[in-house]
Order: sequence, then C-alpha cells, then structure tokens
Amino acid sequence: MPDLFRYIPYFLPAAWMTLVITSFGILIGLLIGFPISLARLSKNKAAELAAKAYIGFIRGTPLLLQLFFIYFGLVRLIRLDPLPSAALALGIHNGAYIAEIFRGAIQSVDKGQIEAGRALGMSKAQTLRRIILPQAFRRALPPLGNQFIIALKDSSLASTISIRELVLTSRQLASSNYMMMEMLMLAAVFYLIMTGALSFIVHRIEYKMSVGERAV
Amino acid sequence: MNEKKLAEPIVRLEKVHKHFGKLHVLKGIDFSVQEKEVVVIIGASGSGKSTLLRCINYLEVAEQGKVFLEGKHVHPTKGDINHVRREIGMVFQNFNLFPHMTVLGNVIEAPIRVRGMKKEEATILAKDLIAKVGLSDKLDVYPRMLSGGQKQRVAIARALAMSPKVMLFDEPTSALDPELVGEVIAVMKELADEGMTMIVVTHEMWFAKEAADRVIYMDEGLIVEEGKPEEIFTNPREERTKAFLKQILKD
Repeated sequence: MPDLFRYIPYFLPAAWMTLVITSFGILIGLLIGFPISLARLSKNKAAELAAKAYIGFIRGTPLLLQLFFIYFGLVRLIRLDPLPSAALALGIHNGAYIAEIFRGAIQSVDKGQIEAGRALGMSKAQTLRRIILPQAFRRALPPLGNQFIIALKDSSLASTISIRELVLTSRQLASSNYMMMEMLMLAAVFYLIMTGALSFIVHRIEYKMSVGERAV
Repeated sequence: MNEKKLAEPIVRLEKVHKHFGKLHVLKGIDFSVQEKEVVVIIGASGSGKSTLLRCINYLEVAEQGKVFLEGKHVHPTKGDINHVRREIGMVFQNFNLFPHMTVLGNVIEAPIRVRGMKKEEATILAKDLIAKVGLSDKLDVYPRMLSGGQKQRVAIARALAMSPKVMLFDEPTSALDPELVGEVIAVMKELADEGMTMIVVTHEMWFAKEAADRVIYMDEGLIVEEGKPEEIFTNPREERTKAFLKQILKD
C-alpha cells in the first residue's frame, strides 16, 4: 500500500489538467448558457428557435461525438490542439444544459415580481436585472453545482484525444506497472477530492447568497 | 363637490373591453375618478373588478376603449407606459415584495432606478414612509421575516415612495389572517384621510363605509350600480346588488 504513494507525483499534473479543462469548459458553458437562456425566453421567434435548436442538438448527441467532431471533424476548417478542443467541446456541451438551468430558474420566479417591478415604472430590462435575475441566480446555484460536477467527470473523455488527464494517466501508468486496479483507484481518489471541493464551494456560495431566504 | 365634477378626472376609462380568451371580462366600462376621491369597487370574484384595476396601469391592456390619466391617453404599445405607471401606485393581494431586498431596499428601489433619485435622498424619503406605516424597527429586515400585515404595509410604503397621483389596491387584505387585516386597513384609512386618490377593490365593508366617497358594484364585467356608501349599503336599487350585499354581510 505505501508503495502507491510514490505514484502521486505522476497524478498531480494529470489532476491539474483535469482542472484546467473543467474550468474552461464551465466558463465557456456559462458564457454560452446565459445568453442562450435569455434567447430561449425571448419573444423574438428567431432567437427562441435558434436557442431551441442549439439545446436540442447538443442534448441529443453524445459529448464524445461532439468532442471528436471538434477535434477530428473540423480539421479541414481549423486545426485545434487537443486542449482547446476539449475545453470547447465541454463548454459547448455544458452551455446547453446551463441554458436550461437558467431558463428554469428565471421561469420559477413568481410572475407577481415582474408585475411589481413594472407597476413601479421600471423598464423590462431594469425589472430583469434588478428583480428577476438576482432571484433566479440564487435558485440556479444548486443545479449549477450539480452540472459543474458532471462537467468535471465528463472531462475524462478528453483522454480519448490524448490529453493526459487523470484517466489517461492512470491507464498509462498501469500499462507499465501492471497495477490497473490500483491506478484507477488513485484516479478515483483524485476525482473525489475535486468533486468534494467543488460541491463545498458551491454550498458556501449558496449560503452566502441566501440572504432573505434564511433566518437571520 | 360640484366644483370637482368639472375638473379633469385623474383616471378615466372610456368604453373599455377586455377578453381573456373567449371570456369577456370587461364589457364596456365607463369609469372616472376625481382627485382626492376614494372609490371602493365591490363585486363577486370573476366580476372583472381586479381586471378593471389592472387596466388602469396597463398590467392588462384593454382591447377596446381608452384609458386616460389626467386627461392624457397613452397608447399601450407605442406610448411610454413606464411613464404612466410611475404615477400610479399599486398594492397587490400577494404583496409581491422583492424577497432579496430588505424593507428599506424595497422602498428605495424605484425612486432610485425610475426617478433617478440619489440614494441618500431616497433613503430619507423611504425612512419617513416606513415610519408612517409603523415599521421603523424593520428597516434592515428581509420580507421573509415579516407577518402578512407587515408585508402589506411595506408594499404600501414602496408604492408611496414614487409619490403617485393615485393608488390602486387590489384586494389588499384578502391574503391576510383575519387578525392582521386591521393594521393594513388603518394605514389605508389614514391615507384616505390625507387626501390620497384611491381606487380599492376590497370586501372590507368597514373601510368602504368609513373611507369611501363612492362605492361601485360590478357584476359580469359591467358596473351595475354606484353611489355613496350609505346609499349602496342601506338602500341598493338593483336586485343583484341587494343579493350580493346580503351574501357578503352574512359572512
């Protein structure tokens, strides 16, 4: 057992790689997801349709396929390195789910809130920014945290395009030391530490943002 | 009173019609309210009284007919509705306070965002109004921590912060526990005594008798009868009004 500790240095850069792909994936996902959610709720039919098509297409096909499409499929148009390909694929994929999370959160805010804002003379944009979105963001946090954890685990698919993240690293180590089970278990431990930290952070933010909804 | 009749009404509705799908909710309403007048609208649920109120500040848009504020008609899609709305305060049945803002935050929001008031200035104004509704000790509290009656008093202060020309009350006490109705009605009575123009949809007959200049009875999208409260309550002309009052006063 203590023998396993000496493999940890090999896993650290792999864990860092997993973290990098996930972070960029989530960031791109948020940057895509938020405007798409607004487009999805927009009265503009073209915007709504475009958002629906994007969400339907992305959610209806596997992430692995999307990753291959960006890395291998686009070669004739643009040649992307593995890392940006993985981050982009993860971002575009999560964008669809995050858009749906935001949409649900925005729609869950009571209609009376919009009426109260508008009745005070606030514009649509003011009501959205000052009244609806602050409440929606708070409600979006738990499902967002969930989505971030899924993204972290999905980053393992980057191993298929030769990114040395946790899964690929554990397999490469095992092929030289023949300890497949041990290496996969080590990778699992790193995933658990990272998903645990992620959910802790999301919980902290949730708590900090829950003013008005928790007893003071 | 005769003098007032000649003045331009604050609010005037002209042959207003409203449908919800196939349902014809307002069937040609002619209605006006003078400055400083307190009008109470009564009627069974579904009679169109809330819709009438909501047409005044364009939360519902009348398909036919016109709504005038101080003699000016604003087109519901082409005109600047926000400009009209800021002159009309509204108090909702379910309060609709902003849960992510404190009591003070709720009251200063619109003066700052809509009137462009400085925060310090808005805060002074808001503190005055919150004191007026008797909640000075709750300035930094979030709505969740308040009782229904307290919430509604904050909602009244929030609407008053825009210095509206007229206040609309849409069943302001219907969502309250019976023992909390009095505190809200008391604030409304005080407002009425100060000369605020008010249009109130309510079943609180005490308020109607004590504060109203005029009571309107609505049924099936039409104004059936209107008059001074003592006339309507003691000597209604229409059969439908009689039946409704009998029903209400029995409860």
